[in-house]
Amino acid sequence: MDKKYIFIKRFWLPVALFFIAIILPFVVSEFWVHVFNEILILGLFAAAFNLVFGYMGQLSFGQAAYYGIGAYTTGLLMVKLQWPLFACLPVSMLTAGIGALILGYFCVKLRGIYFAILTMAFGQLVFFIIFQWYSFTGGDNGLQGINPPEWLFKAIPYYYFSLAVVTIGMIILYFITESPFGYTLRAIRDNTERTEFIGINVQRYMLINFVISGMFCGLAGALWGPFNRSVAPDLCGWQHSGHPVFMAVMGGPHHFLGPMIGSVIFTFLNAFVTGFTEYWPLVSGLVIIVVVLVMPGGVFGIIKEKGYFSPRDVGDVKNE
Amino acid sequence: MEFTFLFSQFMSGLTYGLMLFLVASGLSLIFGVMNILNFAHATLWLIGAYICFTFWSLMEAHQFALWVSIPLAALATAATGWVCEVVLIKRIYKRELHEQLLITYAMALIFGDLIKIVWGPTDRLIVRPSIIQKPLFLFGAPIDSYFIFVILIGVAVAVGLWWFLKYTKYGHIVKAAVYSREMVGALGIPIPKIYTWVFTLGIFIAGLAGGVQSAIGSVTLGMDMNIIIQAFCVVVIGGFGSLMGTLVGSLIVGEVFSFAILYWPDGAMVLIFVITAMILIVKPWGLFGTPLRA
Repeated sequence: MDKKYIFIKRFWLPVALFFIAIILPFVVSEFWVHVFNEILILGLFAAAFNLVFGYMGQLSFGQAAYYGIGAYTTGLLMVKLQWPLFACLPVSMLTAGIGALILGYFCVKLRGIYFAILTMAFGQLVFFIIFQWYSFTGGDNGLQGINPPEWLFKAIPYYYFSLAVVTIGMIILYFITESPFGYTLRAIRDNTERTEFIGINVQRYMLINFVISGMFCGLAGALWGPFNRSVAPDLCGWQHSGHPVFMAVMGGPHHFLGPMIGSVIFTFLNAFVTGFTEYWPLVSGLVIIVVVLVMPGGVFGIIKEKGYFSPRDVGDVKNE
Repeated sequence: MEFTFLFSQFMSGLTYGLMLFLVASGLSLIFGVMNILNFAHATLWLIGAYICFTFWSLMEAHQFALWVSIPLAALATAATGWVCEVVLIKRIYKRELHEQLLITYAMALIFGDLIKIVWGPTDRLIVRPSIIQKPLFLFGAPIDSYFIFVILIGVAVAVGLWWFLKYTKYGHIVKAAVYSREMVGALGIPIPKIYTWVFTLGIFIAGLAGGVQSAIGSVTLGMDMNIIIQAFCVVVIGGFGSLMGTLVGSLIVGEVFSFAILYWPDGAMVLIFVITAMILIVKPWGLFGTPLRA
C-alpha cells in the first residue's frame, strides 16, 4: 500500500474530530460548549490514564490524585500568587509528575490487583492531605475565584484554549505511544517476564510511564480549575478516579482515541442525566454495569468486531 | 500524660481496630477465595448500620431493641449481599480485573445513592439502652461500656472465623480454594456455590459490624469512604487472604489512629499511609501475606 494512503487511513478520524471540535461552538449553545470543554479536559485525563492501563496493562485506581494535584497547583498559584495561567500549566505538570514519581515508586513494585489497591490508597492519601490542610488548600471548602485571564473569561475562548492545549497534549501522548518506549510498554503488558529477560528494567519503565501519565493527568487538572472557576478535594477522590477507568473501558482501551470517545459518551450522559435527577452516581453505576456486561471491548471493540477497521488501521494497540 | 488517660485512649483504639477488623476480614476473605476486590464492602457495612437504625426505631420503646436489631441488620445485609452475588458477581468470575473492579465500583455508587434515597441526608442516632449509657471504670480509667461489647464481638468473630477455617469441613474447602480453585473443583466440590456463600458470609460480617457501629455514634452518609480506605490499608499491611494479618493490621491501624489523633489530628490518616508504605518496602506482600498469585 501507498505510504500516503496508510497515513490517511490512520489519521482521518482524529483529524475529522479536531475539525468538528473547531466548528462546534458555531452550531451549539453556550451550555453545550461547556459540556464539550469538559469532554476535552476529561478526555485528556482518560487518555493519560490509558497510558498506564491500555498500554502498560496495569489498572490504576488513583489517577485522580495527580489530576487533583495539577488542579490545586494551578488554583493555588493563580489565587495566592496571581500567576498567569500559561505559567501554571507547566508547573502543574511538574508537581503532578513529582507526586507520581514519589507515590509511583512504591506502586510499580506491585502488579495487577495489588497495583490497583495501592494506587487507590495513595490517591486517597492525596485526597486526605488536601482535605485536611485547611490553611493551605482550604480543606473541604476548596478554592474559589480561579479566574482565567480576561480574554479567556467567556466560554468560547476558553473552549478554544482547552482545545489547543488538549490537542497538543494528545499529539505528544500519541508520539510517546508510537515511540520505542511505547512499544516497550506494550511488551511489558503482553509479557512482563520475557521483557525482563531481554534486559529491560521493567520497574524503571513502569515508573517513567507512571510519571508521564501523572504529568498529563496534572495538565488536564490544571485546565479544569480555571474552567470551573474553583477546585474541591473531590477532584482527587476515588470516585473521580473511577471515571477515566470507565471512559477507557467504554471507548475501548486498546485504541488511542478510545478514552476520548469514552469521555464524549460519559460526559454527554452526565450533562443529560444531571438535568433531571441528582442521583447521577446511581445512573452511572447502572450504566457501568450494563457496559461491562454487554460490551466488554468498548465502542472500538464493537466497531472492530463488525469489521469496519482492520486492526492496524487507526493505531490499534493490540495485535501490532 | 496520665496512665488512665492513655489507657482509655488505648481502649478506644482497640475498639476502632476491631471494628476495622470486622470490615477488613470480610473484604480479605472474599478477595482471598474469589480474587474479587469488593469496593462496595464498606457501603454494605453502612447499609447494615442504617438497617440496624430502622429496626431499632421500630422497637424504640423496648430496652432490648438494640440487641435484637444488630443480628437482624446482619441478616438483612447478608441477604442483600447474597442477591448481589447471584445477580451480578456470578457473571464476572472469569472476567478481567478491571471489569470486576468496575462492577464493584458501580455497586458502591448505586448503594451509596440508594442509602441517600431511602434514609435521606440527615444523621441518624440510636439512643442506647440504659445498661450501656454510663462509662465503666477500668483501672480508674473511664471506658465507654459499649466498647466492651464491640471488643467482645470483634474477638468472637476473629475466634469464630479462625475456628471455622481450621476445624470445619467448609473451612477446609475455603482454605483449599484460596490455593487452587481448579483442584478443589476437580474434587467435585461446586465452586460457584462456595463462592456465593463466602461472599454472603463476608457481607454478613460487614452487616454485623455495621449494626454494632450504629450505636457507637451517629450514622452519617460518607462514613463508608473513610473506613474502606483504612480497610484497604489494613489488608495491605497484613497481607491479603491472611486472617492473622488482617487482625494484626487492624490493631496497628486502630491504635496508631487513636493515638495520632491526640497529638497530630490532621496527620492521623497520613501517618497510616506512611506506615503502609513503609511495610510495603520491607515486605511487599504484607506482614503475613504470601507472594502474588497470578
